[in-house]
Amino acid sequence: MVSLAAGLPLLERPSRVTIADPDHELAERFRAGERAAFDLIVRRHQKGMWRLVRRYVKRDADAADVTQLAFVRAFRGFSTFRGTATVRSWLYRIAINCALSWLRDHRREQPTELAEGALTDENPAPAQISASDDRAWLRKAIEQLPPKQKLVLELRVFDDLSFKEVAELAECSENTAKVNFHYAVKRLRDILGADHAP
Amino acid sequence: MRRDPTAHDVAELDSAELDSAYVDGVAELSPDERHGVEARLASDPAVRAEHAAVRSLLERVRALPPEGAEPDWMAMARAIRDTVGSDRPRPWWRRWTWRAPLATVVTAAVVLLLVWGRPAPMIRRALPTLERGEHAVPPADGTDDDSVALWLDGAEVDVDPAVAEALVAPFSEDAEASDNHNDNDNDLGLLPTTDLAWVDNLDGEALDRAEHWLAGKKKG
Repeated sequence: MVSLAAGLPLLERPSRVTIADPDHELAERFRAGERAAFDLIVRRHQKGMWRLVRRYVKRDADAADVTQLAFVRAFRGFSTFRGTATVRSWLYRIAINCALSWLRDHRREQPTELAEGALTDENPAPAQISASDDRAWLRKAIEQLPPKQKLVLELRVFDDLSFKEVAELAECSENTAKVNFHYAVKRLRDILGADHAP
Repeated sequence: MRRDPTAHDVAELDSAELDSAYVDGVAELSPDERHGVEARLASDPAVRAEHAAVRSLLERVRALPPEGAEPDWMAMARAIRDTVGSDRPRPWWRRWTWRAPLATVVTAAVVLLLVWGRPAPMIRRALPTLERGEHAVPPADGTDDDSVALWLDGAEVDVDPAVAEALVAPFSEDAEASDNHNDNDNDLGLLPTTDLAWVDNLDGEALDRAEHWLAGKKKG
């Protein structure tokens, strides 16, 4: 039997994703006192952490500072990591908290990246939209999503997190994460409209 | 009316919600959920078209390049290492931050126990005397005198023990008779017998009455 959508035989698929934390061993080594294990965790996750932070903090250098701060906090608070979540989602939670805290402290300093009115009727016709315009259009549409739907969509699509990890970070159930994802996609399609569909 | 997915946790997903989750993460659905979606896909061309549109949109979103210019990762790792220094992770019981609050709580608990955990010294001294039913009359000079000091009419008067006993006896007998009814002593015109301090409170009229009673007792 062949699946119509995924094109994979049904019987060969796992029934449910079980998240085995790939960082578990590193976390245990660090807990046991091996300082270098934390360096490996940093190297493994600094890129993802920075990208996550960069979506909140709009200046590259600031995003780097916030990412660095998040790692330092993770290092100092590692004893609070219980292992109920993955190391990655735990680190991402710290990163989000640091980014939100930074935003609170620098509320008036954030630059606006996209020009005002990017999604108004004055925009060029769909046929004239270049690839870069299309990307800008898409980003602007994502910015318009409600905060929780935006968070869920970004964590899922940009950070490649499982729905379980997304749920941990969004502080909701896995089903609620899936529902938010569904509404994020639906709303994104509404914002983009049929004219801007590829 | 459709529930608000952001307001509370959702127990079950409807078919449209399952479709989105299926498109982006088929392996994260339960076997029952997956079979349900695939049955709809097989029977309904509109569902297939919807899936294709969602898949296309998600591919476009995923193709977006990361925002900003990436920093120097080696430099960032080095900066983190320099900031945390050569510290090693410490288990919670070796961290000092919890010790000060704990010491404060323990000290407060000990002080509270000392203050409220035992009766006040004066009360403790009085308790044995009261429990024995003795009058709190201090001996005049701590020796076995053949007289008893009474405070009469503003002055200390030494009287014969027999006289003193006769003077106090009616009150004592009455007190013993109504051991648990001391509240009624005032109603009977009697003074409390647990402490001879009442003598100090006698006014002139009461003293006259006492002397009259004493004289009558002697004659009788």
